[in-house]
Amino acid sequence: MSVIEYIKTALVALRLNKLRSMLTTLGIIIGVASVIVMSGIGSGASKQIEDQISSLGTNQLTIFPGSANVGGRRGGFGSAPPLTEKDLRAVRDGVAGVMAASGELGNNNASVVLGNANWTTQVQGVGAEIELVREWPIARGRYFDAREAASGAKFGVLGATVARELFAGADPLGTTIRINNSPFQVIGVLSEKGQAGGRDQDDVILVPISTARSRLVGRLGAPDQIGSLLVKVDPRYNLAEVQADIERVLRDRRRIGPDKDNNFIIRNFAEFLETRNQASKTLGLLLAATAAISLVVGGIGIMNIMLVSVTERTREIGLRMAIGARGSDILGQFLTEAVLLCLVGGLIGLGLGAGVAAGLAGIFGWPVYISPVVVLVAIAASATVGIVFGYVPARRASALNPIEALRYE
Amino acid sequence: MDGGAAQAPVVSARNLTKTYQLGEVAVHALRDVSFDIHRGEFVAIMGPSGSGKSTLMNLIGALDTPTTGALAINGADIATLDKDQLADLRNRTLGFVFQQFNLLARTSALDNVKLPLAYSRDPARQARGSELAAQRLTEVGLADRMDHVPSQLSGGQQQRVAIARALVNSPSLILADEPTGALDTQTSGEIMALFERLTESGMTVILVTHEPDVAAHARRLLRVRDGRIVEDRAVAGRPV
Repeated sequence: MSVIEYIKTALVALRLNKLRSMLTTLGIIIGVASVIVMSGIGSGASKQIEDQISSLGTNQLTIFPGSANVGGRRGGFGSAPPLTEKDLRAVRDGVAGVMAASGELGNNNASVVLGNANWTTQVQGVGAEIELVREWPIARGRYFDAREAASGAKFGVLGATVARELFAGADPLGTTIRINNSPFQVIGVLSEKGQAGGRDQDDVILVPISTARSRLVGRLGAPDQIGSLLVKVDPRYNLAEVQADIERVLRDRRRIGPDKDNNFIIRNFAEFLETRNQASKTLGLLLAATAAISLVVGGIGIMNIMLVSVTERTREIGLRMAIGARGSDILGQFLTEAVLLCLVGGLIGLGLGAGVAAGLAGIFGWPVYISPVVVLVAIAASATVGIVFGYVPARRASALNPIEALRYE
Repeated sequence: MDGGAAQAPVVSARNLTKTYQLGEVAVHALRDVSFDIHRGEFVAIMGPSGSGKSTLMNLIGALDTPTTGALAINGADIATLDKDQLADLRNRTLGFVFQQFNLLARTSALDNVKLPLAYSRDPARQARGSELAAQRLTEVGLADRMDHVPSQLSGGQQQRVAIARALVNSPSLILADEPTGALDTQTSGEIMALFERLTESGMTVILVTHEPDVAAHARRLLRVRDGRIVEDRAVAGRPV
């Protein structure tokens, strides 16, 4: 008997008992649907976080001054001696694999005025290499160059949100805005970068770091202070090794003895990503376990009903054997029925799960992402359940003695 | 029997025995049974219940194999065949008709008749399934009932569908087990007339029954008692 014949026969049999088939496969439907929903939400969230992290810049290290340790009393974050332009140069020129570096010195609460419009935003003093370091292309106009960055030029490059809020569609280039009462000329607008960690990255104005030092930030720990040091590592180099080299250079410059802790912190976004991946792996395992349990429960339901079905159809099986069905034909027929039942359940569950996930995405604005891998695995898993749990009943059917089966009342 | 001498018999039984082991007790269902049945014969097998006639039927139907002795159907000794080969033999060579019709419920007459073709190892026959089935249904007088499901058919019509199903693979032998047991007298007569017509056109029919009226339609009678053939004769008034 051909596979097509098996499928036709199975469809007829399943249709004869529509309600029962539906109830039987409900376990599979619910199992697959719940896995699709959960994995849709889970991978949607982790995909969003991954996108955010990579928008922050990969192959990027951020170095902050850490806590000072004075006579056993540990100061707070940033209480250690500040990083300076000299540190930056030492790192950029002294460590192989550093492609670009920029200081970053910020004022998180600067008020910006243009005519009668005003906006409170974050103003960050940065070096000329920031474009490279943060992989942040300019949308219009230009960045300031290295000389401007060092000379205290009153230039500003606007983030997309600031440009929108202050200029409402007008061309900002060449306009003078006032930041904390100092006039700055707008020379560029950044491309949009989106949200990261719940913060709008586009709500920012970049100014030369020297200007930030003199105009926007209060008391300084050093005349050439940089708040934090951003480093872009050449992707051909090993990030961890470059990080270790930077650590060595900074320990040396800051005269930290061999048995003392660092008084600076190097943060690595790849580590974020790693932690995140670890978390989503755990979540994935949890999902797989849930899926496995619900599929096993569903499979037992299938096996139960298939056994009932084999008993009910004993005479039919006897007849089929009498007119020439081999044991393998009967096995194939019942196995096909079980697999089809599970596959139909899996597909309905897939649809249901996708629908619920889309609904949640619509109602709560959650990012939902249903990966094609999950879809394939769900279908394959349902078919496998059909084979595994359909085998025993099908085997029983194929082993019936035709004489007894024909006589069965 | 003489008429078929030129041809090998459709069924040839030699010293057949069948013994069932029921716990400690050995039940001798058949003891040393020998006979030949030739093409075109219409044979009734009669006997009280427990006589061994069902066992004989199961053996001729290739549903079971003998304990000792040889049983050749169309020249093939069933004792030497494995389960799959027996299934193929049943599919190709035999057509079964049952007392309870055994049609698939909620399945059209045409699809019921096509059923044996699904198990045919001959793709050419499979491809012509609907045509062959329609032809057989027309032969049994149900050309206008092909799309009806069993519940829309009378008992006699259902049994005719079953006969069409038995015929669809052009078998050498039709085995009918109490085919009129569930039918009224008039319908029984119609069914028996159909079998008579089939044998006249060369089909071999073996009928198991305990009703003498039904057996009277056959041309040869095998009477079985206590596992032996106690009578093998031409039916009175009818040429063998």
